[in-house]
Amino acid sequence: MTTDAPIPDDDALAGEYVLGVLPLSERLAVEDRMRHDAGFARRVAAWQAELSHLDEAYQPETPPAGVKSRIDARLFAETDRPSPGLWGSLVFWRGLAFAAVVLAAASFFLPAEVAGPETPAAGPQLVAELGAAGSSVGLLAALDPANGALTVTPAAFSPDDGKALELWLVPGEGAPVSLGVVPDDGGRILLDRSMAERLGAGALIAVSIEPAGGSPTGVATGPVVLSGKLAKKIDQPKK
Amino acid sequence: MTTEDLSGLIARTALGDRKAFSALYAETAAKLFGVTLRILKDRAQAEDALQEVYVRIWRRAGSFRVGQASATAWLVTIARNQAIDMLRARQPATLDYDDAPDIADQAPDPEARAALSGEAGRMEACLGELDADKARAVVGAYVEGLSYQELAEGNGVPLNTMRTWLRRSLLKLRECMNR
Repeated sequence: MTTDAPIPDDDALAGEYVLGVLPLSERLAVEDRMRHDAGFARRVAAWQAELSHLDEAYQPETPPAGVKSRIDARLFAETDRPSPGLWGSLVFWRGLAFAAVVLAAASFFLPAEVAGPETPAAGPQLVAELGAAGSSVGLLAALDPANGALTVTPAAFSPDDGKALELWLVPGEGAPVSLGVVPDDGGRILLDRSMAERLGAGALIAVSIEPAGGSPTGVATGPVVLSGKLAKKIDQPKK
Repeated sequence: MTTEDLSGLIARTALGDRKAFSALYAETAAKLFGVTLRILKDRAQAEDALQEVYVRIWRRAGSFRVGQASATAWLVTIARNQAIDMLRARQPATLDYDDAPDIADQAPDPEARAALSGEAGRMEACLGELDADKARAVVGAYVEGLSYQELAEGNGVPLNTMRTWLRRSLLKLRECMNR
């Protein structure tokens, strides 16, 4: 390219933004545009990738020890305090916490004919106890690998304000994958065979609160309230 | 720690895994503090910025996409943006670019441009193809967070000229990198 060539304005603007030279009002205008203009956002991302080659100029510097605890205090003092709107049913949940665990044995490990004809107990069930640190709220998610049925207990509940609970598989790497929204009228989600095969012992499952119908974006948008790992259940029901 | 490990920690952070978040902090805080300190040049402000950076990381971890950017580049971008926003908040919010363009050639700065640490990569080679003062302006803007105003003053040119320089330098750099 010669220096006389016309400069594509959008591309140059995206580059200037990534370089960081713009004054605040222009930075904010660029960020606003990125939210509404996917093509422009891609230009910014391309410059970020390009110029990230300069990142190695930054020498690591150990921050003072107190910084992390201040971050945690800010983040988790906020999230540990339940929001009344979202968690109007929290009292209900707390009451259910023990019940959920106790009921698990009864509800998950019933003989197959009680659970329904489509659930032959062919393989070992995988169960995840989903909880959150410092919270007595809990869910159990049980996967029957034979038919890909994921059962969530307790199931019959509805989060406030038309929200839904969405289950996620959190892979060791890559973005979380939605397993589906817990239906309003029951805690049973049928998974595709390919998805069911990805769920083995040790898989990390999480639950977030999403708008009714589930996350509009395909990634968790609401707070993640519970998580836990799938584990094999040894006490299998006898046929 | 590998990039894959960092990506996994970010993904787990996205789902509210505090242990993963703490591990991510342990692995990356020194690098990101290096970023905020280099740009803000004040330890107290750099610490404040670092706090904001990890609050943002916690809240935005779900927007990280493996394959779109490396985990480290994504994290450094958040740190640079935070530090630069804090810098710019203390400066005039708008600039008047309507100076008469100064087309006089600038004598090349005798000082070498800011050397990049680490091995000389392709970026280094491409920066070498720019005039020394222009390469220094690009590196100074990106690494140190210099504003157009500061760059123009430092180079003794009007704002408008500085802007033209930098835009052309950016596009030349890209052309070289894609070659």
